[in-house]
Amino acid sequence: MAQAESYGYTVARLRAMENRLLDSGAFQRMLDAEDLQGALKVLNETCYSSWLVEMKNEGAFDGAIEAELNYVYREIGQFVPDKALVTLCKMPYDFHNIKVLLKSSFLQKSGGARRWDLLTRLGNVSPEFLIESLESEDYRLLPFGLRSAVPQCLAQWEQFHDILEIERQLDDLLFSEMLKLAAKLERKGVVEWVRGRIDAENVRNLLRLRRMQVENTRIAGFLHEGGIISVERLLSLTGEPLESWGRLLAYTDLTGALSELQEIADFDRLIVDVEKSLDDYVLRVVEQTRFSSTSPEYVLYYLWLKEMEAKNVRIILVGKANGASRDVLRGLLRHVSG
Amino acid sequence: MDQVVATLLNTMSEQLGAMIAVLGAGIAAGFAGSGSAIGIAIADEAAAGVMTEDPGKFGLALLLLALPGTQGIYGLLAAFFAILKVGLLGGAAVKVTIWQGIGIFGSLMPIAIACYYSAVAQGKASAGAILLISKRPEEIGKAVILPAMVETYAVLALLLSIILMNSIKL
Repeated sequence: MAQAESYGYTVARLRAMENRLLDSGAFQRMLDAEDLQGALKVLNETCYSSWLVEMKNEGAFDGAIEAELNYVYREIGQFVPDKALVTLCKMPYDFHNIKVLLKSSFLQKSGGARRWDLLTRLGNVSPEFLIESLESEDYRLLPFGLRSAVPQCLAQWEQFHDILEIERQLDDLLFSEMLKLAAKLERKGVVEWVRGRIDAENVRNLLRLRRMQVENTRIAGFLHEGGIISVERLLSLTGEPLESWGRLLAYTDLTGALSELQEIADFDRLIVDVEKSLDDYVLRVVEQTRFSSTSPEYVLYYLWLKEMEAKNVRIILVGKANGASRDVLRGLLRHVSG
Repeated sequence: MDQVVATLLNTMSEQLGAMIAVLGAGIAAGFAGSGSAIGIAIADEAAAGVMTEDPGKFGLALLLLALPGTQGIYGLLAAFFAILKVGLLGGAAVKVTIWQGIGIFGSLMPIAIACYYSAVAQGKASAGAILLISKRPEEIGKAVILPAMVETYAVLALLLSIILMNSIKL
């Protein structure tokens, strides 16, 4: 990894870029808009404006959000001393694309339509290359361990038709590859950030599995190794009531994110609230780096803020398109201001 | 032959004192200048980063960029004092003994060491302050004060160097 001192330019530039992130005032104005058109009008006054003009119709705002994110990743990739930091943040999109392609291929085999419209250009590898690799069954050039994982997933599907198991394997591979790349960067903060993301995913999985009433014996397989909180510790939560999870993990930073579990009225609503808190938790893992003028972790901090901004914009626009109430949407918004 | 060696030794001992003082002056100006260059480079990186996104911040950043440069001036000032004292910049020739030369050399060390480290530290502080004004330009007053605190110790070192140099009677 490059010396921290070489991050002076990068951190300063990102600090200046942070000023262009949408603040709570902009989100509030979007929420106050009468309809989708009004919200898009507000968005048109922000850094998203250049992508909105390319929109074919009002419903195509996802493309504009993706284009803005893609632009930011590309821009930062050009001046960050360690490109691996950007690669790390983009890696989940590669795995998302692989999942979409595999599911499309399974659907096609059973007579369904393939869903290539769900592919994203935010990954490290272009969707075209992934499609070509899968269609030609030539996986040799696939990165991040996908070279062997993809044929394994295909064989798994042929044998068991278990999509959940395939997703689990791919998620496992994603986090182990992220940890491997973070370790290569030799920065404690970067590794901690990945471990924080693993924690967030594990808690999210625990809650989802509890909602699906999956047996405790099956849960272990859905938890990923490498998080700040061990899998064993998380597994011990499965026998406990949700209200006590925050207390049992009081020694970790996750306890704040789990405070939502104190008031359980509606499980679906609870999961949404906890997911929001978990996103904030991932931000908090690298939050203290914003006080340093040369911290490489600040790249992760900024990119996570940008991801959350894009998520908020998507939540508001989807909500407006579907007539969701302003208060419900406000409750779903992530922390963005730096 | 013995006479030649004796004359050479005599000339050396007469000039060695002045040369040691000159060496001290060189080190003072060199170290202080190097520290300033490094400090300004650190602050420059931050300023370049901010100005890439917001060129309008040039005026504010320039003020902060200049701060680590003062140590280099202090070093040069102390070096001038030293070479003036030993009469190398005009005036009547001054005879400097080896011990007086060592004394002048020692008096220049506070400025050489303190200016080098304080300039590098001030460069880092200025970089932080540039980040501050990138987000809050209205806080330029506070942003200048923070790195200026580091300056105190360079000024104290300059003061001590001058006092020590003046205490050496030629």
